[in-house]
Amino acid sequence: MSEISKLTELRKLLLDMESSMGLQDLSSVERDIYYAASDHAISAGAVKTTVLQEHALLAQVSRPTFFRGLKSLQKKGYLEQCKNSTRGYYIVKAPR
Amino acid sequence: MGQQRLIQETGIVSLAYLAAFFVTFEILMPVQSIFFPEFNNQASLLFLPHGVRVLSAWLLGWRSVLALLPGVFIVFVYSAGDLAFTPSRLAGIAIAVTIPATIFHLLRLLGWDLSPATGRRPCWPCIMVAGLLISLFTSVLTNFAFGSAAEEYVAYLIGDVFGLFFLMLILMLIFRSLRRYGV
Repeated sequence: MSEISKLTELRKLLLDMESSMGLQDLSSVERDIYYAASDHAISAGAVKTTVLQEHALLAQVSRPTFFRGLKSLQKKGYLEQCKNSTRGYYIVKAPR
Repeated sequence: MGQQRLIQETGIVSLAYLAAFFVTFEILMPVQSIFFPEFNNQASLLFLPHGVRVLSAWLLGWRSVLALLPGVFIVFVYSAGDLAFTPSRLAGIAIAVTIPATIFHLLRLLGWDLSPATGRRPCWPCIMVAGLLISLFTSVLTNFAFGSAAEEYVAYLIGDVFGLFFLMLILMLIFRSLRRYGV
């Protein structure tokens, strides 16, 4: 694991803590999409929707729920659609 | 590349350990002695360095042994002076750096793998449980090496568990603030 991924893992752990304390505004599906995107973004930079859907955490999530979660994460500033590539690629953002 | 990463990890973890130690002993302990003067003045009720030991062992595994070593050694020399080189203190240093990674490894062997991995949800209460186990084993072994009194076990245990929780809470608030300012 690289330095960035360790920081990401620590951030994921503390997001879990934030969520348990009711300080975070993400649903469980949104959180799983964000975790999955963080995992892939470490190695690839941007992450493709189809790759996200195949992630172990999202295997049981239906397609409509997945896309609703994805849209909501974009709205909340956690993910951003890649501008300089074809559709379906997302960048993990530091949420505001 | 691997050696450079190890040096970098050792620097970050040991500095974090030293920072946690100085905050605990130079800021929190004087406050503690005002509110709980009857408590043993060596046992902090909010021992933040335990959090650094647990989180570094969780993130780095066995590499945390080397990463923690300089920080733990400096703390022992700072607290005990020349006595840091006595067999009991050296045993204390060895216990402090090896037990966290050993407990995570034992838990993995017992089928409870908490190490961060792709596709695994993080679980902060699980880290707290691991931290409690690490504290139990560390305090029993350290007190055995030092020949400390039984009531100190409880004080160390409370300090470790609260230390881990509050360190995670502090980090959570730092990450939240960083997010707010877009860092």
